[in-house]
Amino acid sequence: MAKVLIVDDAAFMRMAIRTMLEKNGHEVIAEAENGAIGVNKYKENNPDIVTMDITMPEMTGIEALKAIKQYDPKAKVIMMSAMGQENMVKEAIISGAKTFIVKPFKEDHVIQTLAKILAM
Amino acid sequence: MLDMYIFETTHNIEQLEALILSNEKLGGYSEVDINEIFRIMHTIKGSSAMMLFDNIASLAHAIEDLFYHLREQKPQALDYSRLSDIILESVDFIKVELEKIKAGDKADGGHSILVEEIKEFLALLKGQVPDETEAERPVLDKKQFFYISQEKASIRMVSNMFKATIFFEDGCEMENIRAYTIVHNLKEFTGDVFYLPEDIIDNDESIVKIREEGFQVFVKADKSYEEMHRFFTQTIFLKDLELIQLEDEEEFKRFNKPKTLILQDNQAKVPRLQVPANKEQAERETVGSSTNQSIISVNVDKLDKLMDLVGEMVIAEAMVTQNPDLRDLQLDNFQKAARQLHKITSELQDMVMSIRMVPLSMTFQKMHRIVRDMCKKLDKDVQLKLIGEDTEVDKNIIEHISDPLMHLVRNAIDHGIEVTEEREAKGKPGTGTITLEAKNAGSDVWVIIKDDGKGLNKEKILQRAKDQGLLIKSEQDMAEREIFNLIFLPGFSTKDCVTEFSGRGVGMDVVTKNIEAVGGSISVDSTEAVGTTITLKIPLTLAIIDGMNIRVGNSRFTIPTTAIKQSFRPKESDIVKDPDKNEMIMVRGQCYPILRLHEYYGVRTELTSFTEGILIMAEQDDKTICIFADELLGQQQVVVKALPTYIKNTRNIRGLAGCTLLGDGSISLILDVGGLVNASD
Repeated sequence: MAKVLIVDDAAFMRMAIRTMLEKNGHEVIAEAENGAIGVNKYKENNPDIVTMDITMPEMTGIEALKAIKQYDPKAKVIMMSAMGQENMVKEAIISGAKTFIVKPFKEDHVIQTLAKILAM
Repeated sequence: MLDMYIFETTHNIEQLEALILSNEKLGGYSEVDINEIFRIMHTIKGSSAMMLFDNIASLAHAIEDLFYHLREQKPQALDYSRLSDIILESVDFIKVELEKIKAGDKADGGHSILVEEIKEFLALLKGQVPDETEAERPVLDKKQFFYISQEKASIRMVSNMFKATIFFEDGCEMENIRAYTIVHNLKEFTGDVFYLPEDIIDNDESIVKIREEGFQVFVKADKSYEEMHRFFTQTIFLKDLELIQLEDEEEFKRFNKPKTLILQDNQAKVPRLQVPANKEQAERETVGSSTNQSIISVNVDKLDKLMDLVGEMVIAEAMVTQNPDLRDLQLDNFQKAARQLHKITSELQDMVMSIRMVPLSMTFQKMHRIVRDMCKKLDKDVQLKLIGEDTEVDKNIIEHISDPLMHLVRNAIDHGIEVTEEREAKGKPGTGTITLEAKNAGSDVWVIIKDDGKGLNKEKILQRAKDQGLLIKSEQDMAEREIFNLIFLPGFSTKDCVTEFSGRGVGMDVVTKNIEAVGGSISVDSTEAVGTTITLKIPLTLAIIDGMNIRVGNSRFTIPTTAIKQSFRPKESDIVKDPDKNEMIMVRGQCYPILRLHEYYGVRTELTSFTEGILIMAEQDDKTICIFADELLGQQQVVVKALPTYIKNTRNIRGLAGCTLLGDGSISLILDVGGLVNASD
């Protein structure tokens, strides 16, 4: 249903999210292992939704979010955060992230959130 | 998923260990590396929590907190040695848990002691920072905005007033920020937003309030009830919504003083994580890492199957091109096509081999840890030099080299390298050196472990061997090399007492067995007081070799061509007999023993006269014998198949490395020249 771009520096996380998405009928059109590659992949692929990790090398999730929003103000980005990252998430919301999911996350959280964001 | 978790976490742990060891040597931790360690622990914490390995996750979390402090506060007086010890202990713990996970057992290791230690260490560090507000991370600059109510302005428009009470889904976490998101979104179309609890950003207790009493929002907006309801139902993780349209401003009154509603648009500092500027390290990570290169990870079982199939294909190709039906036929076009086929199968073979090849670097890097631990325990000073770690070896073989190598390195430090005082007294540098070298030599890979310790003492070895009843030959007859080789006998040890590492006489022969299991050999050379060199020779690949097929009676044998020096028909005059009645052959002034294959293996053949058959001179480990057979059949690439287990279990047949299927369907036994030369001793 949705075309998703997954941005996370841990291959394990990318696989976990991918598995959840594909099981529920979504399509992962691209993956990126840091913020910089994430921004490029967004421009190349124009996904419907982006899942964005916060802590990454090269370019953080917040910076990537800002860059993507600048390129496409309508971009729908979901931040994947860890506990204790309140202020970063806040900055993400201010910078235009639609919402956030806290790790470790459950499948229905992810799918529910995606569905709601898509409908917006 | 589990495989990926194990793969990635193992890789991360190895990286972490390498970072710790290299930083320890420098006596301090670089900023770049602290960052990297933080990021690694953060990742491990995340994935372990996802996989419900909570003990690993907690441990990783504790270390993450520790390194967060190190990164932000940069404490000066730090016990780096203790820090390294703690982290390495944690690394070991995680390694053990990973092994359990790999084996399908529960990861139930007790992590609480370690976590306590780490927390204590951190508390100690924090105690150093006296008055600086060790705030919960991260440190903020607060910008305060004063909110001026727009009540007056809104009188002009017909503004509706609403009160919404929102409950979030259980377990969605950070409800205060979710609440903030709602406020943020409301601000897009109206300025009159108030809410309870008020301090949702800074105060974590607001989370509890929100969970228990719900998040209450009071809004004045130029929107209808339906529009507001639609807005609120779009809230992510919304469990419950109660939306009331208010008639008057009663509820708003509590917010009414020109209050400083602090809308904090903080610039939260998001730490920039730097990629290690150290290029070498980044390049070394290419094995299995997914940064920027097109590398995929493949299940080893699939590679094994691929190897098998390629092997079968080689045999099948031989069966076609050397089919007995085609013998004596003049088939030019067929031969051309057959050559083309052969060319392609060879290329395919080479490609599959190269896929399975893995550099020795990972194995070599593991040795750093061993050296460090041994040095600490035995109070010795040793440095490890690595040469040729890019040399590649078949993946199967790597697993079999790791343990023997570890044992040999341990041995070198335990037995070989002397204590610093002793070394300096002898005029040697106080720091001992162990050199691990890997290089390609023909169809083998040589791994050389060299130390500059005290070397092997021949007399001691001979004495011990005698005492333990291990001497077969008489002392005088033994060449230096043979005396050294005694150390490989099971049960042999020159240690007077058993320590944690050595003395039980079990190590060396296990090493030998492991090496021989992959078809390799081990040899030792030493000079007293100067040092010892142990050489492992390991074949590049086990599976497909170039062989020379020979016939003895109706039986077929194959000799690996790498072992063959020459073949010839002897002259009667060159045959001599030694005092023990063994047949020998003179070639260019040198005498070599003859092995009659038909006698050795009891094969019936008419041909027993040397001058009618053929002698093949074969060499292994500097020993040469001449094998006598009926005739040469031709060279062929041969797929080595192990002898069936029922044969191996019945009797260990010396001199056979395996068997293979020839083009005409007959079975050929592959000779192990090493075994044969030793048999003739």
